[in-house]
Amino acid sequence: MTTRTSSRRINALAAALISILMLLASAAFGPLPASAATQSPPSQSGSTLRVAMDGSGVDTLNPFLAYYNASFDIFGAIYPTLTVIEPNGQPGPYLAKSWTLSPDHLTWTFAIRSGLKWSDGTPLTSADIAWTFNLIMTNPTAGTANGTLVANFAKVTAPNATTLVITTKAPEANLLYISTPVYSIPIVPKHIWASHVANLANYKNTSYPIVGYGPWVLTNYVDNQYAEFDANKDFVLGAPKYDHLIEIYYSNTDAAVAAVRSDQLDYINGLDPIQYKSAQSSKKVSTAQSEGNGWYAVELNPGAKTRSGKTIGTGNPALQDPTVRRAISLAIDKQTLVNKVLDGEGQPGAGYLPPAFSQWYWTPPAGEAQNYDPAQANKLLDQAGYTMGPNGVRINPKTGQPIDLRLGIHANDPSDGSIAPYLVSWLKAIGIQVTVQPMSMTALNSDLGKGDWDMLMDAWTGAPDPTYLLGIQTCSVLPMDDGTGGNTDSFFCNAQYDSLFSKQSTLFDTAQRAGVVDQMQQILYDADVDLVLYYYTVNIASSANVAGLDTGTRNAHGLYPAQNSFWSYLKAAPPNDPGSSSGEVGLWAGLAALVIIVGAGWFFLVRRRSGADDRE
Amino acid sequence: MTALDAPAAAGAAVRPPRFESARRFARAFLRRRSGIAGLAVLAAFTVLALVAPLFIGPDQLDVTRVNGPLLASPSAHYPLGTDQAGRSVLLMLIYGSRESLRVGVIATLLTLVIGSGIGIVAGHYGGLVGRLLMHLTDWFIALPGMPLAISLAAVLGQGETSITIAIAVTSWTGTARLIRAQTLAVEARPFVERARALGAGHGQIMQRQVLPNVMPLILVSSTLTIAGAMLSEATLTFLGLGDPTSVTWGEMLNQAFFNGAFTADAWWYILPPGLAILLVVLGFTLVGRAVETVLDPRMQERP
Amino acid sequence: MTVSSVAPGADGVGADAVEAEPVPPPGPGPATAAGRRAPRLPWPGYLGTKLVGAVVSFFVVLVIGFVLFNLMPADPVRTMTRGRPVSPEQMAQLRVQLGLNRPVWARFLSYLNDTVHGNLGYSWQYQQSVGSLVMSRLGPTLLLMGTSFLISVVLGLWLGMRSGWRAGSLFDRLTSGTALALWSVPTFWLGMILLIVFSVGIGPVSGILPAGGMSDPTLSQTGMVHYLDVARHLILPAVTLVLVAYAQYVTIMRSSIIEQLGSPYLLTARAKGLSDAAVRRKHAAPNALLPSMTMIFMQLGLLVSGAVTVETVYSWPGLGYLTYEALKIPDLPLLQGTFIVFSASVIIMNLLADLLYRVLDPRVRAT
Repeated sequence: MTTRTSSRRINALAAALISILMLLASAAFGPLPASAATQSPPSQSGSTLRVAMDGSGVDTLNPFLAYYNASFDIFGAIYPTLTVIEPNGQPGPYLAKSWTLSPDHLTWTFAIRSGLKWSDGTPLTSADIAWTFNLIMTNPTAGTANGTLVANFAKVTAPNATTLVITTKAPEANLLYISTPVYSIPIVPKHIWASHVANLANYKNTSYPIVGYGPWVLTNYVDNQYAEFDANKDFVLGAPKYDHLIEIYYSNTDAAVAAVRSDQLDYINGLDPIQYKSAQSSKKVSTAQSEGNGWYAVELNPGAKTRSGKTIGTGNPALQDPTVRRAISLAIDKQTLVNKVLDGEGQPGAGYLPPAFSQWYWTPPAGEAQNYDPAQANKLLDQAGYTMGPNGVRINPKTGQPIDLRLGIHANDPSDGSIAPYLVSWLKAIGIQVTVQPMSMTALNSDLGKGDWDMLMDAWTGAPDPTYLLGIQTCSVLPMDDGTGGNTDSFFCNAQYDSLFSKQSTLFDTAQRAGVVDQMQQILYDADVDLVLYYYTVNIASSANVAGLDTGTRNAHGLYPAQNSFWSYLKAAPPNDPGSSSGEVGLWAGLAALVIIVGAGWFFLVRRRSGADDRE
Repeated sequence: MTALDAPAAAGAAVRPPRFESARRFARAFLRRRSGIAGLAVLAAFTVLALVAPLFIGPDQLDVTRVNGPLLASPSAHYPLGTDQAGRSVLLMLIYGSRESLRVGVIATLLTLVIGSGIGIVAGHYGGLVGRLLMHLTDWFIALPGMPLAISLAAVLGQGETSITIAIAVTSWTGTARLIRAQTLAVEARPFVERARALGAGHGQIMQRQVLPNVMPLILVSSTLTIAGAMLSEATLTFLGLGDPTSVTWGEMLNQAFFNGAFTADAWWYILPPGLAILLVVLGFTLVGRAVETVLDPRMQERP
Repeated sequence: MTVSSVAPGADGVGADAVEAEPVPPPGPGPATAAGRRAPRLPWPGYLGTKLVGAVVSFFVVLVIGFVLFNLMPADPVRTMTRGRPVSPEQMAQLRVQLGLNRPVWARFLSYLNDTVHGNLGYSWQYQQSVGSLVMSRLGPTLLLMGTSFLISVVLGLWLGMRSGWRAGSLFDRLTSGTALALWSVPTFWLGMILLIVFSVGIGPVSGILPAGGMSDPTLSQTGMVHYLDVARHLILPAVTLVLVAYAQYVTIMRSSIIEQLGSPYLLTARAKGLSDAAVRRKHAAPNALLPSMTMIFMQLGLLVSGAVTVETVYSWPGLGYLTYEALKIPDLPLLQGTFIVFSASVIIMNLLADLLYRVLDPRVRAT
């Protein structure tokens, strides 16, 4: 009878199936304890500061190769730098105690602190600093991430353990910014890295604890999950008040905010206004705001050209007319964007550099600001001969075509999606049709480089030193004729701007340099190529238990000036009475789940077996 | 012409007149309560989608014109609350049915065209062509549907068009299989033999003999395909492959999940779009199953 | 031949196209899926045919993968270096490193060579090999999918058996109705609802379960504490998957049981004086299980790819979540790598299902 044979076979099969699954499950669990075993058992004694990792995630822990913000946050915590950006935004001493500049402005002599030791006990001297800089200068792989910062260096030497001499090819005003925590070049221990130079491109830097020097020591990192640190209680700029630090990766900010509210996380920044409001409503959460360190802008293609002046791309010719660009600028109601998209948490944009770095912040002089004025915009277009077509779209007199512009937006950036409908509707009011094209970041950047765009959404976060942001608007980053070698932000190219760019790099007086930078921002503003829409306030939520996270001081806006993770985590202080862990309930729930799972499997097996027993 | 009329007449003699069979089908269908319920749900959503433009316009959906509070909980004025831009979730829900249903329907049509085309051709031409097409189908079945759809949509670029294509490309295989089998069955029947004997070409046979006879099956499979297509649309849009400026149920859920609604405990923004998808998908499934049962005499005998 | 009575797939596309396929026709006859043309080949020949078929399928997958991911004009370099001070020359250098300057055919050849040697390329986003990324995410995915698969199979088959045996009863209607409704739910939405009820958000029990991830990094990462912690994180995603997936097993088991109801051997069993439950358990169920088994194995192949949305909603660090992360950029080599891995697992499991069928099918054995 087939019944019996097949039922036995089924039984065997079910058993096989279950054993396969058990195998899978053990495979799943397997790697975890293994990876955990390589680290020292996490010393859970003492206080732990739990913060959200930057949303970019970590690309690599090799500081010569990393590009992502989360990586640089980690480097700021575990590797030292020459100087530090003080809470007031100016460079101050870190490894360098003090410095002098030769009269020809070419030779910098730094006095390096003595008595510092890497986390493995080896002395930290000027030789480590010189070695790191020299490696980046001479080894193209080492220069992957930060090579540009040392491009102007002629020579870096360490005459003795406490002296470092940097000679530059031309005067370099921003030299004190080239090695600061989080923003620029981290210094690595020579005795560790010298043996990895040959294989630098593939070196992952994952032997924990990672030998470094900083407020923290990285003891473990799990890809896209978390990074664990121990405090360096001997840190030269003051000991961290917490004993441990954990940076936890969240793929979306919502989950992180939820974690703060349920006391599973102590600190997160970069909340959107709705998250910020909901965080404010929770008693367990304290909130703070830091002045905008970045902006959203819309770029207008002024006619993409290569370095040699060859026209490329498919930009709409109407945008080459400054009048059209000005009209577009006047048609945008920036204050409404702040009110509606940011729910008021930001400022209308104007100057190119964000307000968080106050020494570079520029606002247009009275009377020159391009305020929302659609009537004036329409008048400009009328005067310039852009007559209104039958369907409410203006005709370009040069081509006879209606002005229909593409607006490329980042599909995965909610702000772009929120801003776009406003731009469409405002430009429609002045007779310009806009078609929104949501694109992936890669596709958008590809179109940008080839000049195949009319309008693009653009967003940048500033840094204490504005050189890079200013640099991507110069003619020297236009692409070559073969399409390579470009890094232009918007195909802006202006000779006067370029000469000011060279000039500002040689001005050592911050006020003087800021004056030139202001002129550059004025040129950009008047060109209407990169219309800064708004600066968004950095919204911060932290556990009400943690003190000292906000190191800035209030300014006229009632906001805090920019600060970064380096200071926040260093200054954060635990509550006097560490609360009980919320993990207990969860563990019991976990136990319950385990019982259910095991029970279900048992039930299945037993039922089958009992069936087999009384079969005959 | 006479050559073609003859088999048609012969076919008519074998089968009852069209009206009669339709009436019988309707009677049988009406006896199935779940099918009626599904049909009612679908009718309601279709009517809503069709009349939506009469009372919902840019004034309610254009973020630049609405003036509601941001992400407010339900109130008399906003029965389902508002979204992050201050728009009424209820109106978005109603308007969103248009795009969601449209993508579902178009993707299904595409699926059916590809699937039945390949199925009929594969069934009609045995030999090399048939085998090749069946191998092609098998290869496609070996591809994991969701990752393929995700990859396709990602590569084709953002928006409904690429989502529609991605759905069609990944879901035609089932239809092709089904139609091929049915084609084989139909071609074995005497009236096709007769048509062939009377000199009808391949195209004629496929069009005039096979297609009408596999049509009921195509229709049945369409109700189930459309349910799957709508779920896929919602899934792909949720993952961020849709057009962020459009209003669809999937897009609403994407916004709700990735854009603050969670932190704000905005259940009114999360619940409705999912329930709407659930209802429509369930509606199509119920109708599909009812039709299938009615058409399949073997299952009809059972309760 | 009937249209599958299984409702459309949970995540739509894949589930629909593939899961709908292997619904068995009445009785323990050959299933409808490919390659079941009542093979009467001797074992080695049969095995060979199937193996060759699988290899050909895999090659086609490779070609499709390459065509797909090289269609799009992509310049990842700006995306990769975004925000860092990088000169145009360095960017050009990076393009060369990534091989983006090479002609398409050269890239195709090295792609084939690399893939065959297990090298899946280099992720733009993570600056590491796709292979190691995939390997590091495979475990969590298998854990999540394996658990939910096991539970949904057991639950689905048991409910299906019960409701099929008493077809038309209240229990049957309730079971089938619930299954159908849950089957129509968008998986990710169900996940969101569970998340808002049990984790973040509102309601009396919110906050008892974690919002996402696989473990709490502030707890110990070893020992019993860790296992419990992982189990706790596993609950919500696994429950979500079970709720959506068990329905298909209910449906298939129910109809198989119904097919068996009138069989003579059941009458014989009853005539022997066995109780109703015993007849069901010992005679009807084993026979009805037979057709379900092939389908279950084919489902195994979809395991790894099945959880893209659930892993995304719960930030579960598996392959599906990796796919989502890759999608944001999009990181084409990574997408390509996960695509190949997903396809390979389907091909392998289909192959196993074919072989299994040969083992199980009594008529094939009889010859």
